[in-house]
Amino acid sequence: MGLIKKLPVYTEKMPGGGIVMTSLEAALHNAQAKSLWYLLFGTACCAIELMCTGASRYDFDRLGMIFRATPRQADLIIAAGTITKKMAPRLRLLYDQMAEPRYVIAMGGCTIKGGPFYYDSYSVEKGIDHIIPVDVYIPGCPPRPESLLEGCITLQEKIKKQSLLDWQEKD
Amino acid sequence: MDKDQLSAYLTDKSEGKLTLLEVGRHDPIFKVEASQLIEVCTWLRDDEQLKFDFLCNLSGVDTGEQFEVVYQLASTSKSLRVDIKVILPYDGAEIESVQKVWAAANWHEREMWELYGINVKNHGKLEFLLLPEDWDEGFPMRKDWDAPDFIRMPEF
Repeated sequence: MGLIKKLPVYTEKMPGGGIVMTSLEAALHNAQAKSLWYLLFGTACCAIELMCTGASRYDFDRLGMIFRATPRQADLIIAAGTITKKMAPRLRLLYDQMAEPRYVIAMGGCTIKGGPFYYDSYSVEKGIDHIIPVDVYIPGCPPRPESLLEGCITLQEKIKKQSLLDWQEKD
Repeated sequence: MDKDQLSAYLTDKSEGKLTLLEVGRHDPIFKVEASQLIEVCTWLRDDEQLKFDFLCNLSGVDTGEQFEVVYQLASTSKSLRVDIKVILPYDGAEIESVQKVWAAANWHEREMWELYGINVKNHGKLEFLLLPEDWDEGFPMRKDWDAPDFIRMPEF
């Protein structure tokens, strides 16, 4: 309630804050983009690069990204690694448990199209977009931390450009 | 005992139950009949000169014409290694569980059962280990297996 009472004060200070609706969107989406908490979901070697990106050399924290161990507190799910057919329902369950608005980054070749397991594999899901809607795809096997940071910044750009109407159920 | 001495010892002492297939690069490979498997395995484990107390690996093989079940054994006290192989027909492949001899065989046999469809008698808990619980698409490691979303590697 505090935020809603004080909101006119904040929106007044926004540049070009004459129209309340625009300012609200700008304020909310800016805040949202700068505090993307991501779910720890590392299933293969991409998780090593994800950990490296979260550690001090590449430092995810400066983008406002903090890892969460529960989907209830997460805004973003970084699917890092091979998703098998056995894992696919669990990924869907975790996605469903996250609060709206929620975003998905598909990290690495396996999550995009099966990667090295595209041929001759009975167990690997050929792309996680069969299971959950994906916002940003990051190719690589595994992608370097720079690629992951670039992908996260791309997602932030996307969030800043969206409108409140986009908050509706996506699928 | 090096691998040639071991091959000679096993051929000599097993009373014809073990047939030498080849003295491999590292381990001699013996063939055993499925009906005599438990007897031979117990003897290999308990013989004073051998003491094969460790089942390193248990694998199924589909050659296209028949199934093979390969038991890779090691003796920790005598520093020996040997492979024994059971050849099974394609139709109605069935084998006795060796858990009474080496308890480590449990998960290997479950995996072989779900991926190759080789039935394991007296296993006790034949449930899916690696495959999803609701799997109903057959035995994926067989050579002739196919599924709608299974993409074979093209010839390059």
